Amino acid sequence: MGSVGAMVKGASSSYAVFCGSFLGSPRLGFSIHNNNNKNLLKFRSFSSKNTCCSLQPPDVSRLAKTAQISLTPNEVEEFAPKVQQVIDWFGQLQDVDLQSVEPSIRADTENNLRDNAPETFEHRDAMIGAVPTYEKPYIKVPRVLSMD
Amino acid sequence: MILTLQTPRPLSRLPRFLPFSTNASITLNQSQPATSTSPSPPHSQILSTRHSLLSRQFSAADLLRSHLHRLNLVEPHLHSFLHLPDPSDLLAQAESLDRRIAAGEDVGPLAGVLVAVKDNICTSDMPSTGGSRILEGYRPPFDATAVKRAKGLGAIVVGKTNLDEFGMGSTTEGSAYQVTANPWDLSRVPGGSSGGSAAAVSARQCVVSLGSDTGGSVRQPASFCGVVGLKPTYGRVSRFGLMAYASSLDTVGCFGSSVADAGILLHAIAGHDRFDATSSNQDVPNFLSHFVSPSSFESKPLKGLRVGLIRETIGDGVDAGVISAIHSAASHFEELGCSVNEVSLPSFSLGLPAYYILASSESSSNLSRYDGIRYGNQVYADELDSLYGSSRANGFGSEVKMRILMGTYALSAGYYDAYYKRAQQVRTIIRNSFKEALSQNDILISPAAPSAAYKIGEKKNDPLAMYAGDIMTVNVNLAGLPALVLPCGFVEGGTAGLPIGLQMIGAAFGEEELLRVGHVFEQTLENGRFVPPIVSEDIAS
Repeated sequence: MGSVGAMVKGASSSYAVFCGSFLGSPRLGFSIHNNNNKNLLKFRSFSSKNTCCSLQPPDVSRLAKTAQISLTPNEVEEFAPKVQQVIDWFGQLQDVDLQSVEPSIRADTENNLRDNAPETFEHRDAMIGAVPTYEKPYIKVPRVLSMD
Repeated sequence: MILTLQTPRPLSRLPRFLPFSTNASITLNQSQPATSTSPSPPHSQILSTRHSLLSRQFSAADLLRSHLHRLNLVEPHLHSFLHLPDPSDLLAQAESLDRRIAAGEDVGPLAGVLVAVKDNICTSDMPSTGGSRILEGYRPPFDATAVKRAKGLGAIVVGKTNLDEFGMGSTTEGSAYQVTANPWDLSRVPGGSSGGSAAAVSARQCVVSLGSDTGGSVRQPASFCGVVGLKPTYGRVSRFGLMAYASSLDTVGCFGSSVADAGILLHAIAGHDRFDATSSNQDVPNFLSHFVSPSSFESKPLKGLRVGLIRETIGDGVDAGVISAIHSAASHFEELGCSVNEVSLPSFSLGLPAYYILASSESSSNLSRYDGIRYGNQVYADELDSLYGSSRANGFGSEVKMRILMGTYALSAGYYDAYYKRAQQVRTIIRNSFKEALSQNDILISPAAPSAAYKIGEKKNDPLAMYAGDIMTVNVNLAGLPALVLPCGFVEGGTAGLPIGLQMIGAAFGEEELLRVGHVFEQTLENGRFVPPIVSEDIAS
């Protein structure tokens, strides 16, 4: 299973390029029928082209651990098919020819950084007042166990 | 900023609100003469309020009481608000304004205007929960820039409105607190995520409101509730104080019962903010000069305007009633002198999965700050990781948890190229296709949603079915463009029909053109009166 680590961006050349294979099987086209939104979610049918590497299906328990959310077993069971369904739906982007298309971080960028000059925030008391466990001058947290 | 308000013409009909004593009903001017013998003022509650206050026809305190009366009357049916301040605080603000007016002092363009604020926008004097239990009772130590600017120009913040948790959803059913009802039919959703802000303006509980639009969260509820919703260009309004959902897509947007009101509010809050590095240095033009009386329109006031109707938005999967309303809107544009052509946007349908990849990925990162340590609800545990895990599990709702999981997956080591980067590339394609279309058309039009408001509970368990409804709106966020939604027609449903909104999309930083065109369209629309029955009933009593 590929490692599910922290979110890392950039340095894309160091990652293998994942191709259109999902669980190694051909994807089937289908549409979601729901009242009037019949054909809005038609999946394109595409078969696996390369099988150089494949994306592992989402493992909800592991993802929850990474995201620091303690899910109950019921929640894991409830979420898994829905998450799977949406991730599958994301997969349709695999089929699009995106060679030589530059990724956009956002719509348009101006360089508007302010001066790197620190200022004192005027409402420090209000900020401290929002801390659940404050024992002046510490924000109190429980101990950290060493991770395996 | 210096604003030149056009001098209001003498009112040829009753003002919108009459001063009243405790139990009197509020009279809203329902009659809309098709033509008037004397010039009638532009359809703008803000401008007519200003005129009435400055000419002492009534006081800000009376205006406030009148609105609060209606607000409280309909609130048990609508549940638009998560927080309402002590009325005596609001009254004090209104009375202070009245004293300044009496003393002949200058007052700002939003003086006495009641503004509701979506609860994911920080207000230091009211709780800001983001619609989530994890921030229950949280009071930010600062005001969002948009709030600060509106208040600085005289606005009175009348309360915080309901939303889908952290902006994730299209119905307000994702709120941890309550579901807001659509003023046109209480069994239907108002849309989302800014459902409370849209419903509050629709039901005339306030004059204008602030919302946020990341994937359509101002425009879709505007369509469902029959009000004007304005999504500015990304970077036009500071995001400082807007709880971040997807930082490359989030915008603060405006609701009003008229194009002029939404535009005046936008003008008040727009402009560069040193606390938001993504806010633009572009000048904010004087939108107000366009909100002129319809009696001064030429016979073909939009002559020469090239309007492009997006073909992909009026095909399969869109309600027949919606398509019909859009075609009528297109005809109306032609009557006004425009040329309307169909335009195709390649890769239009890719926008939806690209949007959800980007939004869930960015939200998984943005919501990692809710750890129960520096603010919000904490579930104590003996060990730090358990504290994080329990606080977040306890504080977040299901939809938020799922999106965080999806985003975590998409950003997992090794998966960035497959999802996030590809979605970024799709963003480039979509940006370019809009640019191309907007080089050949002045504005593009489409519906704001594939249907009118649906029933509460209808889409609740099917995430993809709910996401499908965003197809009309997300591409605009990906491209960072401005868009204006205004009500253009009805379909059957409820007791008086259900409103349908027309979406108008402009070039980047082209809000001025959108507002100019939208104002003309609105002021010349026949049967263009969109007041839900819940308000009219109040009039009758």
